[in-house]
Amino acid sequence: MKARILFISVVTLFLLQACEKKEKSPVETASVSLDIKHQVDGNNLQPDAMIYTNEAGNRYLITNIQWFLSDIELINSDGNSMALTDNLGNRVFYVDTDLPASETIISSPNIPTGSYQAIRFTFGLDEQSNQSHRFVNPPESFMFWPEYLGGGYHYMKLNGKWIDQQGHMAPFNFHLGIGQEYFEEGKSTNELYDFGKSIGYAHCEGYQPPHKLNPVVAFIQNYFEVTLPVSLIVRPDESNEIELLMQIENWFKGEAIYDHDQWGGSIMQKQEAMEIGIRNGIHVFKAKAVSK
Amino acid sequence: MRIRLLDVCLIGLLVLTACGRKEVPGPAPHEPTPFELDIPFGFPTKLNIPADNPLTVEGVALGRYLFYDGRLSGRTHPDSLMSCSSCHIQSNNFEPGIDHPVFQGGFVHGINGQQTHHVVLPLVNLVWNKSGYGWNGGIATDNPDAAARNIEDIVRMSVTAPDEMAGDTSRVKALFQSLDGYPGLFEAAFGSSTITFKNIEKAIAQFVRTLVSANAPFDRYLRGELQLSQSELNGFILFTTEEGADCFHCHGGGGNPLFTTHLTYNNGKDSIFNDLFDRFSITGDPMDKGAYKAPTLRNIAKSGPYMHDGRFATLEEVIDFYSHHVLLTDQVDPLMHHAIRGGVQLTPNEKTDLLAFIRTLQDDDFLTNPDFARPGKFPDEP
Repeated sequence: MKARILFISVVTLFLLQACEKKEKSPVETASVSLDIKHQVDGNNLQPDAMIYTNEAGNRYLITNIQWFLSDIELINSDGNSMALTDNLGNRVFYVDTDLPASETIISSPNIPTGSYQAIRFTFGLDEQSNQSHRFVNPPESFMFWPEYLGGGYHYMKLNGKWIDQQGHMAPFNFHLGIGQEYFEEGKSTNELYDFGKSIGYAHCEGYQPPHKLNPVVAFIQNYFEVTLPVSLIVRPDESNEIELLMQIENWFKGEAIYDHDQWGGSIMQKQEAMEIGIRNGIHVFKAKAVSK
Repeated sequence: MRIRLLDVCLIGLLVLTACGRKEVPGPAPHEPTPFELDIPFGFPTKLNIPADNPLTVEGVALGRYLFYDGRLSGRTHPDSLMSCSSCHIQSNNFEPGIDHPVFQGGFVHGINGQQTHHVVLPLVNLVWNKSGYGWNGGIATDNPDAAARNIEDIVRMSVTAPDEMAGDTSRVKALFQSLDGYPGLFEAAFGSSTITFKNIEKAIAQFVRTLVSANAPFDRYLRGELQLSQSELNGFILFTTEEGADCFHCHGGGGNPLFTTHLTYNNGKDSIFNDLFDRFSITGDPMDKGAYKAPTLRNIAKSGPYMHDGRFATLEEVIDFYSHHVLLTDQVDPLMHHAIRGGVQLTPNEKTDLLAFIRTLQDDDFLTNPDFARPGKFPDEP
């Protein structure tokens, strides 16, 4: 009898130990790939082809687009977010229509498998990320935004040409980044551009610029957040691809019509023009999961 | 007795094994001294140095001799000497300069009198150029032609080109092989005293990659060591604003202290394009007609004449061009948006300020650095 009790005790102990040793299975993770496409009116961008017409009636072409997106997050069905970084931990990404490799972003394989309902990212860079000399290597360093205009980096360079009212093929640089408020007699700093954005005082305040420029009295952070619905199930050992589409024509319509004839070739020092682009920006992007 | 025999066999086997393991001492591995290149503040950390030609102290020293030795032309007659330094003068930003005693106005010709297609580009900060060398950027690491990818290839092209040294590589290497001192320097740099032209290319390329200019007044301003004058600051603002002179997209600034993107642009100089060596000749893209590299503006006051064909002798002429004479053509680069009104329309005062800023990019330490200068004597000289 004693032997029997001992036997049962030993077996029970083993079973209990086995239960204790049983580890929780680790969360399964995978990589997610972001495939970035640039389209106009539903078709892939044809660089340097004067075949497009915007909402204002401007005929235009696009030569190239260079831009930053940052702080990408996937949002799961519980509403929790998961940051998407690459294998080096980078969370700011440069995209260039002249560099096909830049149009694919592959995350580190740390995205938990499961169901996701949205993707969120920052167009451009926020105040913390947008620090001068952050990028010293090309091509990112070529995106620097001059200190006098707020420093940091262009959010986007969209370069092209349009047929102006005189029939000339005129170059335009639709460049977005930190805006400036210039001194104007009788106007307070927040009176001109109060769009709920972060307004910082110009570090060069007090400097009298040369000749045709008025002093800068404030900087305006123009980056914005984009949240797009996407139905993605992240599975192990699959490419888990999301197609992120920039609908270029929407930079020029949506909230307000952007007319090249009104704004001309350059807007880095025209906050009102950049503001139109920023407001339209919420209509520019679309995302969908790509099923293989 | 059997045991003793076994012992003997085992001992013999051990001895044989030990003998077998004894390595015959070979030649000591060639280990030249790595050359540490400092990365100045704000400069790129990624360098264009081929894996098969790392910078070494010995290689750079040899390259400096070769860069300055007129026998690189493969000839010894005093009238036939030509080297890299014949056209690339240190005090002129490693360009001929418009005051060159032989190449009038800075327009160079080869040993046979044949003029080069384009004027000379400066040899400054090239170790950071990863976008192609030459006015059309054709010498690039992604070139399908493996013989036209980097500075090493430019050395060979310069030695053999009819409009440059018009030399013969076999003759050049044989000549240097015969000169006292050189074989030993090749041995130190590359592990062999037998001179190959490939090693001549490598040595000169190494030296050229050390030609770093990063101590101009503007660099010191960026580092907080010096204040610029009011006129220079005004010029800096003009340089980096679209409503000013709008130079920065192609020529850099505080965020791109190379003062070039090393990319090519049609900057609106011409409306007819008949140069056979523009960017179009490389890409075949009609939009690249009349497009050329934006050269660095470091030490630019020393780098005249200006533009690929040297059409402007002075910086004042260049600023006038960008201010009032830019042509609007189908090929003009979109970044030249001021072309619609002929240029950036600077006032005389603004031109003065802009020029004052551009002159802050002159690095006198670079132009006089003894490490970059002609050696006191060549290896075969007593």
